[in-house]
Amino acid sequence: MVFLFNIFYQFGDSLAFLLLAAIGLAVIFGMMKIINLAHGEFITVGAYGTVVSGKVFNLPLPIAMAFGVIVTIIFGLILEKYIIRYLYGRPLDSVVATWGISLIVSQSFLVIFGPSYEGLQTPMGNFRLGEFSYSEYRIFLIFFALFILFLLYYLFMKTSFGTLARATIENPAISSSMGVDVKNVYSVTFAIGAGLAGVTGALYAPTMTIVPSIGQAFIVSAFITVVTAGASPFVGLVPAAAFLGTVQTSVTFFYKSTFGLIAILCAVILIIRYLPNGFSGLILKKSK
Amino acid sequence: MKADYKKNKLQIITFVILGTLPLFIDSYYLDNFSYFMCWTFISLGLAVIWGMGGILSFGQTAFFGLAGYGFSVISINFLGVAGVSLWSVILALTLTGIFGLIVGYFLFYGGIYDVFVGIVTLAMTLVLETFMQQTAGPEYTIGNARLNGFNGMQGMPIIGFEKIPFGLVEGVTQYYFILILSILILISLYKFKSSKMGLIFLASKEDRERVSSLGHNVQKIQLIGFTIASVLAGISGILYTNWGSYITPDSMGLVSAALPVVYVAASGKKDFFSVFIGCIFFVWLSQTLAINGKQFAIIVMGLILVIATRFFPDGIILMLKNKLIEKVKWLQS
Repeated sequence: MVFLFNIFYQFGDSLAFLLLAAIGLAVIFGMMKIINLAHGEFITVGAYGTVVSGKVFNLPLPIAMAFGVIVTIIFGLILEKYIIRYLYGRPLDSVVATWGISLIVSQSFLVIFGPSYEGLQTPMGNFRLGEFSYSEYRIFLIFFALFILFLLYYLFMKTSFGTLARATIENPAISSSMGVDVKNVYSVTFAIGAGLAGVTGALYAPTMTIVPSIGQAFIVSAFITVVTAGASPFVGLVPAAAFLGTVQTSVTFFYKSTFGLIAILCAVILIIRYLPNGFSGLILKKSK
Repeated sequence: MKADYKKNKLQIITFVILGTLPLFIDSYYLDNFSYFMCWTFISLGLAVIWGMGGILSFGQTAFFGLAGYGFSVISINFLGVAGVSLWSVILALTLTGIFGLIVGYFLFYGGIYDVFVGIVTLAMTLVLETFMQQTAGPEYTIGNARLNGFNGMQGMPIIGFEKIPFGLVEGVTQYYFILILSILILISLYKFKSSKMGLIFLASKEDRERVSSLGHNVQKIQLIGFTIASVLAGISGILYTNWGSYITPDSMGLVSAALPVVYVAASGKKDFFSVFIGCIFFVWLSQTLAINGKQFAIIVMGLILVIATRFFPDGIILMLKNKLIEKVKWLQS
């Protein structure tokens, strides 16, 4: 029983990490076809926003987190306005430019805040089962990740903004001629993606040591999850994260954690090769 | 031939200047210059695959590291065997080429296109780096060569002939070796670009399906381009390892993978000569900036990358080169 719960806990932790890492990237890639290599740095901004405001102004954790998210949204909006906007329709250039942004941001954080920053305490308590102790916060993260995914699904599928956004992505020219403010829709979608990255950074800020390269821990997982999920993120994200989580947990369980990472990287290379549209392609094809 | 000479005045002048450089600067700066030129090959490779074929690959760094490690492992294992410091280079390059061929086959015949090539090659690079990082233990030994994890490998012989008292690739000979190699490679790349195959490769960037419906085997040509790029990256990797007698897994990391992309994007990915000159310039720039701390150099490199893609999508050095040719009438005819 304890053994089973242990596996569930490890798996859930890995699932929540992959989902939260990927969610903002999935919105920007899935809706706008922009490969945002600066996604990890958005997460860094969220994490630093939370920790710095929590330490300097002694804010309670939820408010510090909200502050971190707002800072990330503003950061995302500025980038969109001055750089990303000019790169729509030039996918390779957007990859390169966002990579440049990621280098600038991560190294600037290194210059400003030094090689590491004192973290916050993990909130909530621990509970024991048998001889093991588990963090309640990590269990909370699993459910929170699923909750955010549900919110997003609602936003893009059920609200009028979602309809406008999907129409714009489908055909910007026609949407524009129907009176949709295309530029605005792009900005808002990008801001949502950035904000979600900020949420991820804020949520994980109290659980890890805050270093300027914190985004790199997320970016690789984020990319492989989004690529495995395929073109339609809402359908594919959960099965993709579940699949990769299973691979990672089992390899880490039987071997070492570096091999867990290597295993999922290899799994992704195979998935792109044999399922170029990812899990969502597989699911949508079956349901047709 | 005469027409070639007239068209390429700028190139010829540049190489004459580079050829007489050892007369004017002392050996410390000359060694430094050799280091800058080590990086031109990996960048030229990226210019082939990205500038000509429109395929953005982050795998160049993986091939760079693979060739460097391959050369180290082979040459350390056969230390003392006749001619090892020459044939280990050729063997390491062949291995890199075969690896490039396999990866490329997997990519292009597997129907992976556009940005997905970038993601798969990035994943591949990170797999190699993650693996090499954790090989510090004694169980990771190939023959006599310990891989040494993040500490890196050293102790490989200098490329050259044993009979000659000094290595072929050391000091001034190293400089001329790299210079002549880069001239030969530049000429062959221009030949490749104007060959039938090169033209098909260029066309495949504009419209892959149209080119293949005209009866050309696009996948084969993309595979050839990718393999050429991987071997060029391998040349850089071996020369780099030889230059410092040193290679670490960091040379395959995320930041290292970004650098060739910066050099090529900022120089002008469509023109080999601009990439060659730009690469030397930007490696020099990042080295100079790194004196005040590596992070400042990387920030400036990132800024250059963003500014170049946002405002000069054709590349800064290429633009300057065209301006120069426009202004100086004598260079035109």
